[in-house]
Amino acid sequence: MSSDSSFDGIRERARLGRYPIRGGGARRAVPAFDDLTFLTASASRYPLEGYREACATRTVLGAANARDPVVLEIPITIAGMSFGALSAPAKEALGRAASEVGTATTTGDGGMTPEERMSSKTLVYQCLPSRYGFNPDDLRAADAIEVVLGQGAKPGGGGMLMGQKLGPRVAAMRTLPEGIDQRSACRHPDWTGPDDLRIKIEELREATDWRVPVFVKIGATRVYHDVRLAATAGADVVVVDGMQGGTGATQDVFIEHTGIPTLAAVRLAADALADFPDVKLIVSGGVRSGADVAKALALGADAVSVGMAALVALGCNDTVHDFGPASYAELGTTAGGCTACHTGGCPVGIATQSPALQARLDPVRGAERVANYLRAITMETTMLARACGKADVHHLEPEDLVALTVEAAAMARVPLAGTEWIPGR
Amino acid sequence: MCGITALQLRDADLRPRLGELMAAMMAQVAERGPDSAGITIYPDVRVLKGVGHPAALAAEWRLREMAGTQAVAHTRMATESAITAAHCHPFVVGDGLSLVHNGSFANHATIRRELLARGVPFDSDNDSEVAARFLAYRMAEGDGLEKALRLLCERFDGFYTLAVQTPDAFAVVRDVIACKPAIIAETAGWVAMASEYRALAVLPGIAAARVYEPEPEEVYLWTST
Repeated sequence: MSSDSSFDGIRERARLGRYPIRGGGARRAVPAFDDLTFLTASASRYPLEGYREACATRTVLGAANARDPVVLEIPITIAGMSFGALSAPAKEALGRAASEVGTATTTGDGGMTPEERMSSKTLVYQCLPSRYGFNPDDLRAADAIEVVLGQGAKPGGGGMLMGQKLGPRVAAMRTLPEGIDQRSACRHPDWTGPDDLRIKIEELREATDWRVPVFVKIGATRVYHDVRLAATAGADVVVVDGMQGGTGATQDVFIEHTGIPTLAAVRLAADALADFPDVKLIVSGGVRSGADVAKALALGADAVSVGMAALVALGCNDTVHDFGPASYAELGTTAGGCTACHTGGCPVGIATQSPALQARLDPVRGAERVANYLRAITMETTMLARACGKADVHHLEPEDLVALTVEAAAMARVPLAGTEWIPGR
Repeated sequence: MCGITALQLRDADLRPRLGELMAAMMAQVAERGPDSAGITIYPDVRVLKGVGHPAALAAEWRLREMAGTQAVAHTRMATESAITAAHCHPFVVGDGLSLVHNGSFANHATIRRELLARGVPFDSDNDSEVAARFLAYRMAEGDGLEKALRLLCERFDGFYTLAVQTPDAFAVVRDVIACKPAIIAETAGWVAMASEYRALAVLPGIAAARVYEPEPEEVYLWTST
């Protein structure tokens, strides 16, 4: 009985007198892309040859409204993660990696840093409920704008940044006193629904002279309705972040008990956009491998975003590159299970504002690892697409998949493997 | 998995022999599609389809006795959908457009959903019908056959050699990889296309014909005279 993990939770709350806060995503097992498998080609369909038959990965976002649509060479972007939650070298490394492989990266709460702007060929600027660091100059320096309604780790909740990470630079950008615990707003003061949101989106388009696309990001809850409303309000791209999506600091109760799995969200979002052929869908939350990317695209996404995966590529929880286990122990955490992002005591220099810890992350070497990772999962995606006979990764479709569990079959609405049975159909 | 034959007669003297020539051509590609067969004969857009060996079907239809300006035929070895007359090519849709397909599309389910959402009806679950419906939809929207075929090349993934006839035209197009066979022959008297040369070898004047393999993603189009 003493090993019951719910008892650990009770003891932690009894000790703290408050709710636990941590970084990362949902830890519990939920139906996921791993519960699906591809029906690749053999006799009734023909596979493509990897060496000489092309499989396109180029993805264009926002072509209907923006004069300068976002053109991605790969269908994988880097999700919004704030300067504040992440160190400046980490943001720079993500920008360098995205630029090297021809994709976009995204700002986050607290605004845009010059390092990030300079290192990123395509930078998406988030417009968040907190308004921290949001200004017209950076807005006009962006390649796309992402209006954030919510996040998969905490749909319905606002961002958090603990006082340990509110150093002088972060505090100045957010016009906050140094060292206070910051709790961002859970809704933007300018809109409370799709009617006001439409006006906000028009305002952002006017401010940027209709040059760049406007994304709307939602945490996956009432996905069908929320995605339809985002599209109706004028979004060029809807970003849907499932419950496995990570965070730099959020109440554990949000991370584990809100939202729906990415697997279920992608299909609902694709349904919602059936009447909006020009609106593109980006899906995030627990995307780790090329198989995850290919499955998300098959279920209706035009692209995916990675957050945690990019940080892991950068060195999160790693002991191989520069950091031994001792560097974790001295900060009271453990390599492999570290979710201390919120404390600022990041052993690998990623989720910290401490100058000494930041120095552990070389942005150039880190960028190489992230770029390698993005290239590798793109190759895996095209490998699966070619094996399904597709000359473009976007031609993957739900009919290319079957499910290994009844739950996944019901959520993804593909047949249970070996049957024609889709639960509920 | 299938055999295609198509013939457009420029020489009016040959038109009484259209059925005879088509029956001879189909017999040469019967091994490629022994399950079932179908043919459209113009200018009347007469459609004949059936389950069984193509030679037996041609006899049953009395194909040899039929005259006409052009025809397109298909012998089928089914891939994913059932062996029934309804699943036989040609798929005849719109204003007398007939399409036959050798190959397998890789993204037809998505395109079918898009067409269904636009109110386009379907008769079967066959992937080739999606291509025929797509062409008819584009032509109803005002595109010519050549443009509609170019759009098909942009939108459809997978392997295909297509022969299409309308009351006014005959066209051939192949996918970018072009590994499903196709050969074209032209003389002053006719233009013909088949999956294999031996089906063209039965035509009168073949020795003097211009014979060539169609290039990938190039639309070949001949208007009816």
